[in-house]
Amino acid sequence: MMQFQPDAAGTWSMSAPFLEVRNVRKSFGGVQALKDVSLTLQAGQIYHLMGENGCGKSTLIKIISGAQPATSGQILIDGAPTGPLAGDLGAIGALEAGIETVYQDLSLLPNLSVAENVALTGQLVEAGGKLARPLRRAALHDTAARALAQVHLPTSRAFLGRRTDTLPLATRQLVAIARAIAAEARLVIMDEPTTSLTRQEVENLLAVVRRLLDQGVTVLFVTHKLDEVKSLGGHAIIMRDGQKVAEREVATTPKSEISQLMTGREISEARYRTEPKIGDVMLDIQNLTQPASFHDLSLTLRKGEILGVTGLLDSGRNELALALSGVVPAHSGTMQLEGRIIDLKSPADAIREGIGYVPEDRLTEGLFLEKTIQDNVTLPVLDRLRNAFGMISGRRARALAREQIADLQVVAPNVQAPVQSLSGGNQQRVLIGRWLTINPRLLILHGPTVGVDVGSKDTIFRIIQRLADEGMGVIIISDDLPELLQNCDRILVMRQGAIIATHDAATVSEDEIYQTMAGGAAVPATGKDATP
Amino acid sequence: MTETTIAPEARGPAGRIWDLMGQRPELFTLALIVVTAIAVAIANPEFVAMNNLFDILRASVVRGIFAMGVLVVLAAGGIDVSFTAIAAFVMYVLTMLVHNVLPGMPLWIIMPLAAAGGAAFGVLNGLLIHALRAPSLIVTIGTQYIIRSFLLTFVGTALFMNLPASMEAFGKASLFSWQGTNGVVSALPATVLVLVVVALATWFILERTLLGRAIFASGGNPGIAERLGFNLFQIRLFVFGWAGLLAGIAGIVHVASNRLANPFDLAGMELEIIAAVVLGGARITGGSGTVLGTLLGVLLITLVSNVLVFVGIPSTLQRAIVGIFILIAGTIFALRQRA
Repeated sequence: MMQFQPDAAGTWSMSAPFLEVRNVRKSFGGVQALKDVSLTLQAGQIYHLMGENGCGKSTLIKIISGAQPATSGQILIDGAPTGPLAGDLGAIGALEAGIETVYQDLSLLPNLSVAENVALTGQLVEAGGKLARPLRRAALHDTAARALAQVHLPTSRAFLGRRTDTLPLATRQLVAIARAIAAEARLVIMDEPTTSLTRQEVENLLAVVRRLLDQGVTVLFVTHKLDEVKSLGGHAIIMRDGQKVAEREVATTPKSEISQLMTGREISEARYRTEPKIGDVMLDIQNLTQPASFHDLSLTLRKGEILGVTGLLDSGRNELALALSGVVPAHSGTMQLEGRIIDLKSPADAIREGIGYVPEDRLTEGLFLEKTIQDNVTLPVLDRLRNAFGMISGRRARALAREQIADLQVVAPNVQAPVQSLSGGNQQRVLIGRWLTINPRLLILHGPTVGVDVGSKDTIFRIIQRLADEGMGVIIISDDLPELLQNCDRILVMRQGAIIATHDAATVSEDEIYQTMAGGAAVPATGKDATP
Repeated sequence: MTETTIAPEARGPAGRIWDLMGQRPELFTLALIVVTAIAVAIANPEFVAMNNLFDILRASVVRGIFAMGVLVVLAAGGIDVSFTAIAAFVMYVLTMLVHNVLPGMPLWIIMPLAAAGGAAFGVLNGLLIHALRAPSLIVTIGTQYIIRSFLLTFVGTALFMNLPASMEAFGKASLFSWQGTNGVVSALPATVLVLVVVALATWFILERTLLGRAIFASGGNPGIAERLGFNLFQIRLFVFGWAGLLAGIAGIVHVASNRLANPFDLAGMELEIIAAVVLGGARITGGSGTVLGTLLGVLLITLVSNVLVFVGIPSTLQRAIVGIFILIAGTIFALRQRA
């Protein structure tokens, strides 16, 4: 494993660094995603790019990998500027420079074989991006087999020929890394590669990363998992609000300092949950099961209570959210809402029962972006807005939409503005406003502040608290632990389809929850939820 | 998911056939062909005569050439419904030109001209789709209407019965003829050669060039393909250009084998061709499909349209049979995908 040497700085100045990012800025419309970022990557070193959601990490790696042009600034490789103007390498340019990116979605082509995914881009780069070239199948298989062997994957013909959409996630991850190896990458960028891997799979991946470093490859690891950073060593580059705020040697920097730099605040985060007014049990779920996703989930929720549910991607938390909202009905088990057994077969059933569901991905699952705020807000209650002729009353719809946007402090010129013209935080509030029109008894929020800026987060949290105070039952399903700690009464942790722990949100620490969900600490697996 | 399991689970024979069908959906098409052929042969043994087989091959040629173009477009994640209009335009204009102006033009000039004309229309489709960032279905519906309307309004509506000599000869040429015991002479038309060449060329492009892989890559996920360095613009120009080029060739083959240039011909065949390609195992959503499967799909559609009369099924019912086959195949492919 590559050790960090503090006195190596002297030798670095002898030759140009492998990659230098100079004063890169990027704006989307009016939003500045990157404000004057500069950094230097030396060959054969590992760098951790760290920061909270929305700090600009993803934008930065997209610019380095040529997927997006910078608005201004420069990228130098081996001391030479690249691209016509800004840091605009272009996808092929970046690949030619030996920069390979393993995105969170892994960028594998689902319908192509393992061998093609691993070795095809190599041939494309050799051809300079020109397509009218023969496909060298034998070379494709040889290159792929060699690269796969390095990440300890099988090199049999059957495996080489398999479509990648038939592989489990951890295998796909290694295939994506094998692609970088096959391309003889000089810099491998990995975007939160361990998010949904088991502990064993993470260890396996880190071992592969160490081997890359030994071979002189530079690695840029985008992550917010401090344990992994500590285990790999190297340098931490910390970003916040589109700026690089610090660069530290991992070995000599305590974890607490790194998290403080990432969040920009002391770790003690103020809880929004102050004086909960908790009533009787309103939701009682017993043995809810959906084979392959979750099994025997039992939980209760009281009126006015805010319950957090978290877990890794494959823990079943997303599927639970979909089952509670009727999108993907559960297979067996019972749900009782205020004493009455309910059977959710579709989202329409959930709406009838007074369950509002704010989905995780508001852009694709929630909002009609090109439609107006009014259209988006009034959607679930159109039949209530009919006038004497059975037509939808524009006046009533307008009034209802105005009421909601005033209530939720949506910043918009008027209710006829298209939702896509609003900021992320305001879009999210419109979506919450939509579900409030049905006066829900139970509100399920799935990742309520994903991609939402800090100011909007604050407003959304205050709204959630107010709703609970008014007696609504609220379930927040999220992987944003600070968000759960700040807002919930209890936090359920799921792992491999079961509830493995229930924490009191007022006393538990982020670290403790993380340990439970990743399966690190020995937590008594109760499988059941205990009401406080 | 504690261990990286990549070995397929042990399954029974039914499961194995199911899995195999998932990997090679064209096997299902082949099964349908065999079942149909056997059913027809049992009901009416006269069906198994050389001239019938040659007839089916003859009728497959134009469909097959079109289908190769559709396959390439579908594989890249697009769809094209303008190819029949392109074929009609090219065949009619070219026949008119040769007939009225250059009656002596040989086939080896006519064919490349048709290909070039068709390709020009196809590239225009590709340019429009890329520039407008519009769905290819919408764009090609638009160009289909425009091309057809232009043809009928500004070029002409009269039929050409007297074909230029070179085209007439091409349509009559046979590779092989065979005299049956009843004295009926059956001939294997030379036009089949065109389909063979087109199929081989399409296979070569799809399976043996970087371009072929790029086509499948963009059909699998265009965003990722672009990120990996594949040039979507070039891919789109090529696939629609190729579909147009083959449409031009198919137009000439159609005129030659029918010995008639009718500007109203070919209209409405689009869906049938797309159905044949999908029956051959290509997904309508892109990223898959094989030349062999597509040929089988074409054969199946031609078989159903040509031979059901042998078992006394009225021609008006043929479409229903094709429809049932499509529904069965669609269901099976969808189930396989979900598993």
